[in-house]
Amino acid sequence: MNLSLPPPDILLGGLVRGSIYGLVALGYTMVYGILGMINFAHGEIFMIGMFACIYALGFFSTYLGTGVATSLALSAFVAMIFSAGFGYANERIAYRKLRKAHILAPLTSAIGLSIILQNFVWLTVSKNNINFPRLYSEPLNQVAFTIAGAHCNYLQLLVLGTAVALMALLYFFILHTRLGIALRATAQDQLMAGLVGISVNKTIGLTFIVGSALAAIAGVMVSMYLGVAGYNFGYIWGLKAFTAAVLGGIGNIPGAVLGGFIIGMTEDVTCFYVDAQWRNCVTFIILMVVLILRPRGILGERVADKV
Amino acid sequence: MQRHLFYTLLLLIATFAIGITGCAKKDNNTIKIGVAGVMTGPDGAIGGAMINGTQIAIEEWNAKGGVLGKKIQGVVRDDEGRPEKAVSVARELIANQVVAVIGNFNSGCTIPSSQIYNQVKIVQITPGSTNPQVTEQGFTHLFRIVGRDDQQGSIAAKFMRQKLGLTKIAILSDKTAYGEGFAKEVQNTFTADGGQVVVYDGVPRTELDFRANIAVIKKSGAQALLWGGMYGQSGPLYLQLRQAGLDIPFVSGNGTMDPNFLDTAGANATNVYVTFGPDYENLPSAQPFLQKYRARFGKEGAFSVYGYDAANVLFEAIEAAGTTDADKIAEVMHSKTFNTILGSVAFNEKGDLKESNDILWTVKDAKFVPAP
Repeated sequence: MNLSLPPPDILLGGLVRGSIYGLVALGYTMVYGILGMINFAHGEIFMIGMFACIYALGFFSTYLGTGVATSLALSAFVAMIFSAGFGYANERIAYRKLRKAHILAPLTSAIGLSIILQNFVWLTVSKNNINFPRLYSEPLNQVAFTIAGAHCNYLQLLVLGTAVALMALLYFFILHTRLGIALRATAQDQLMAGLVGISVNKTIGLTFIVGSALAAIAGVMVSMYLGVAGYNFGYIWGLKAFTAAVLGGIGNIPGAVLGGFIIGMTEDVTCFYVDAQWRNCVTFIILMVVLILRPRGILGERVADKV
Repeated sequence: MQRHLFYTLLLLIATFAIGITGCAKKDNNTIKIGVAGVMTGPDGAIGGAMINGTQIAIEEWNAKGGVLGKKIQGVVRDDEGRPEKAVSVARELIANQVVAVIGNFNSGCTIPSSQIYNQVKIVQITPGSTNPQVTEQGFTHLFRIVGRDDQQGSIAAKFMRQKLGLTKIAILSDKTAYGEGFAKEVQNTFTADGGQVVVYDGVPRTELDFRANIAVIKKSGAQALLWGGMYGQSGPLYLQLRQAGLDIPFVSGNGTMDPNFLDTAGANATNVYVTFGPDYENLPSAQPFLQKYRARFGKEGAFSVYGYDAANVLFEAIEAAGTTDADKIAEVMHSKTFNTILGSVAFNEKGDLKESNDILWTVKDAKFVPAP
């Protein structure tokens, strides 16, 4: 075991992974905050975003002949719309009727939905991983600058920047806009929120739409970052993102982001000090220790303050 | 519905009756050889091409007068690539009193079927199953005419140590029986040869972000990266290695030998080496077989040559043993050196090839070609 400081590329890699976990974790945490349920199908929404973007890229470049940057921006937008649609439909079809049911009912429904969506993509889209078109990811994978021998490329900067910006925007949205206030009111008491004139169904639908759109952005960036997209990515990344949300304090937005960064960094730093085989062990040991000491997670406060 | 069932039953009984009389009638002028392998399903094309190779060998021997003065009768059965079907095929072939069996293709089929053949001590030779476990069961009558997954490891290690002259390498694997077996073998051979393995690590099958591993490899000063795993991870790993500015050789096993890897790695992938079977298309000894095969079945599969070689080795062993007694045939196969179109072949006590004939391939212009 070495005791030197980890090189900058390890830290950078951890930060990028962490910010993606954070973006996906926001969706878990928002839904939990408002409904008190865990939306296990959220990882699948993230995965659908990836595929939607890749197919949209093909569509735009073939039929509209748009340039690289335009196609990419449009496709990311399409992915957001697509994922948001799926997220809203999930809520409408699988969760709304179960809102007053026992807590296990929507949970089981979510797990079922996750399996359905994953298998659907597996059967109809691709059983193998598909490549993110090189034409669009290559320019972003160029080296932006080099610190101490570690290459930092544009995509890594873009992922970090987008993630931090979107999280800040979401925080502002929830604290300082009328819709955000409605969201917090619904989270605190659905019945009272309804009585003061807030449309509870619309507000909950909005939560799913915002969370899903964020997941789609994360999905697009992940498939560019890894070079491929696969039907099981939602499960792989979603599970870690969910862990991040719990670690940071489920229902708490800055907590989700913090949890994401902690998990991403732990994984990569473990890879440096011990080795990659131990990264899941170390990550979940940290999670357990944190939960034993602070059962509500790092930033988790009283239940009334959730969202 | 009732009537339907009745006719089906009648048909079944009739089939069985014919089968039983077929068995009872002992034909002394033919030698029955079981040929089992996957002919339908996702692996149907590659397995069917292997069986076609065996068919050609049977016909050639029959044209020469057969084995021990008797004609060879191939009893061909499809195992559909399913272990449970492979077991029922094995029982059927035994009931048909075959002398020996050529097959199966999938390791997952060969492992259970070999347990059935072992109970009655029938000689079995597999032309396609590369999983080490196949011959690790301790069966004396089971042989394999392809390289083991872990034999490829020593070939890759020797290539890096001797041909490329490297002293420090990094090894990553996907922790599966295949990937880790390959990686361990490389590590053992490379260190025994005076080299140094500076990074040895495993990642889960589902992991596709290798940047932390690559950063560790970069810091370690490794001169090459060896990857033990399948093509799904090989592509992203290769891509991320190059993005991190590491142009070191990327060496891998036959799991990387797939067009999907070339797609992900891109048009200008270089410095990639993959272990795989010999380049039979350019072997002079393989030309007569290939011509015959292509004239009859079209383009051969990757395992057609092995199907052909397996049959030839088996018939030669029966001829040398002078009997169809399974113990005698197995004894000959363990001791004799056979000449096949892929070179000379001898089996060790486990039934594996003493010398694997795998070679190194490289990628040039987005195609796999034999390494110079």
